[in-house]
Amino acid sequence: MSGNRFVRAVARTAAALGLTVAAFAATAAPAGAAPQPMGQCTTTSGVVLAVDFSHWGGPVYRSCGTTPTTGYELLNQGGWATTGTGHDGPAFICRIGYSGYQGGKQYPTPQQDDCVLTPPASAYWSYWHANPGQNTWEYSQLGAMLYKPKPGSVDLWIFGGTNVEGTEGKPTVTPGQLRANNTQPTGGPAPKDTRTAAPLPPNVNTGPRPENPPPTGPPMTTTPSSPTAPQNPSASASPSESASPTPSAPPPSSSGPAVAAPGPQVVEAAPAADAKHDAGSYLPAVATGALVLLIGAAAVYAAKRRRRTE
Amino acid sequence: MPRTTASAQAAKPPVSGPAPDTGGRRLPRTLHPVAWWIWALALATAVSRTNNPLLLFLVLAVLGYVITMRRTEAPWARGFKYYLYLALTVVTIRVTFRAVFATGITPRDHFLFSLPHIPTPDWYAGIQLGGPVSLEALLSAATDGLRLACMLCCIGAANTLANPKRALRVLPGALYELGVAVTVSLSVAPQLVQSVQRVHRAKRLRAGRSKGLRALRGIIVPVLEDALERSLRLAAAMDSRGYGRAGTATRRSRRLTGALMLLGMCGLCAGAYGLLDATAPKLLGLPAMGAGAVLCFAGLRLGGRRITRTSYRPDPWRFAEWAVAGCGVLSAVLLFANVGFNAAELNPSIYPLSWPTLPLVPAAAILLAGTAGFLAPPPAAPTRAALPPQRTEEPK
Repeated sequence: MSGNRFVRAVARTAAALGLTVAAFAATAAPAGAAPQPMGQCTTTSGVVLAVDFSHWGGPVYRSCGTTPTTGYELLNQGGWATTGTGHDGPAFICRIGYSGYQGGKQYPTPQQDDCVLTPPASAYWSYWHANPGQNTWEYSQLGAMLYKPKPGSVDLWIFGGTNVEGTEGKPTVTPGQLRANNTQPTGGPAPKDTRTAAPLPPNVNTGPRPENPPPTGPPMTTTPSSPTAPQNPSASASPSESASPTPSAPPPSSSGPAVAAPGPQVVEAAPAADAKHDAGSYLPAVATGALVLLIGAAAVYAAKRRRRTE
Repeated sequence: MPRTTASAQAAKPPVSGPAPDTGGRRLPRTLHPVAWWIWALALATAVSRTNNPLLLFLVLAVLGYVITMRRTEAPWARGFKYYLYLALTVVTIRVTFRAVFATGITPRDHFLFSLPHIPTPDWYAGIQLGGPVSLEALLSAATDGLRLACMLCCIGAANTLANPKRALRVLPGALYELGVAVTVSLSVAPQLVQSVQRVHRAKRLRAGRSKGLRALRGIIVPVLEDALERSLRLAAAMDSRGYGRAGTATRRSRRLTGALMLLGMCGLCAGAYGLLDATAPKLLGLPAMGAGAVLCFAGLRLGGRRITRTSYRPDPWRFAEWAVAGCGVLSAVLLFANVGFNAAELNPSIYPLSWPTLPLVPAAAILLAGTAGFLAPPPAAPTRAALPPQRTEEPK
């Protein structure tokens, strides 16, 4: 009787487990959010992800992802990785890292924010959207895990402080600087004509235009005036920050307005492998266990001796 | 505190407790309750700094060691297990809430199981119910809960080790106005523990059920009633001995004391808020805190000046008290000093999962707090086994 019940319980548990695993696999697999080379993003497909590392002297990285996705998946693929807080879980983006920038080191560093509690409103990653065709940023009303970006939109993460009135902490880059302006996917094995870029809005800071083309290294520094520059996705495995600091001196022949402030450099972050993660050693845990046992044994011994002497 | 040290110097000859042991051992006596409270609160402060499960388990071990070494046989001193139950409840609630109110799962996480997902409408998308649960989520909830549990256990250790009734004697004079409230708030936890034990024993003697949910109902009501009643009785007893007495104070000076205390408390609250909120104006931080502290101190001095009392059997503050309080404070200082270790090791990352490290300086600091187990003098043994223990240990 009881054995029968036990068997039934086990069967039920196994079935439930199988179902849940199947459900999980079913929900996780077909989403199929995948990183893409930047050229695959167009004005109507793909989502551009941009992350501003200028708070730590880095560039603004931008990369591309396929669309049925969430802001969180976009930020956790193709070499991107995030860390949540101990208090809120992974959904609260506390650190962001890209394996091509400083070896995947995540910012802010543990010295700057321990990511145990929710970070203060004066220093955190704020999340901004620009829908297709829109040239203004909109502060995200949803968290990264819940927001589903539209095809052709831009997602931007900047580090800093914001206030309730919305007067502080606005992005300095415009969506036009980051958006994919090509109507057809480019890149791939044979880069086609890339001169189909839509004309930029007149008041876009186009930044410095490189006088001489950058050396044909793996990482490509693109200026917003030519966001669809031919690129080489195969060489994207090791984009490094070394190529980013092209001189940001005032450009002599800038087509943009004269206020070509030394704004953040926009650098393409091609899909890369995840940064290596070291799970560490289990020895400290074992040592602590032994220490705790030792203290416990000392306590038990002391208690016994005390009882004997009484 | 100054009053206590002064009275300790004045009353050196009479030593409470039994005659000295032969064999060169220290005199058994009870440590000053404030020393235990300083030690425990400092350790709780140190715990608040870290999320490292290894360090937290070390703190629990140290608490257990010190309590087994130095607790008395008084009724409140046998209640540490109730604080442990409370701590376990805290961890369980934290883990359950993290599992039910899903915080999402990422492809890198270790999937454990899935709860039925209850979809919420779009306009209510902020909260998710059910869904896949990862090992990382549960572990981070457990370590978070463990930290709170450790802090609870620190307070529990203070309640277990220090005599709550003698702790009341060192209250600053101005707080006598609040005699009843302070007495009830300080003694309700130890009284609760005592009441649980008494009711449980009574039930056992009547051969009633002592386990299960129905027994729980039979215990909770009498326990709550008993604990509150005993606290009130204690407060009344203290009232009759002059606690909370307005004495010779004029109406004006009483009002002045009250105003100073109220303003000071407001200043302290505003200061704490200013320090914790980074966007608050600078003036609200340390200056407000300092002004509040000065006002509070002035209020306490003013209120304490007009109350004179003599004390019978004063609690001495000697080397052992300094040592116990000092080792607790030192461990907190070491954990906050950030010297000799990487601050990131105090809060190891769960996403991605990795083994926590054991930073040496914080571990040594926590073990240092454990030296209170032999720095404190051994507690006085019950004089006669035949006498009921409650009788022998009743203070005053």
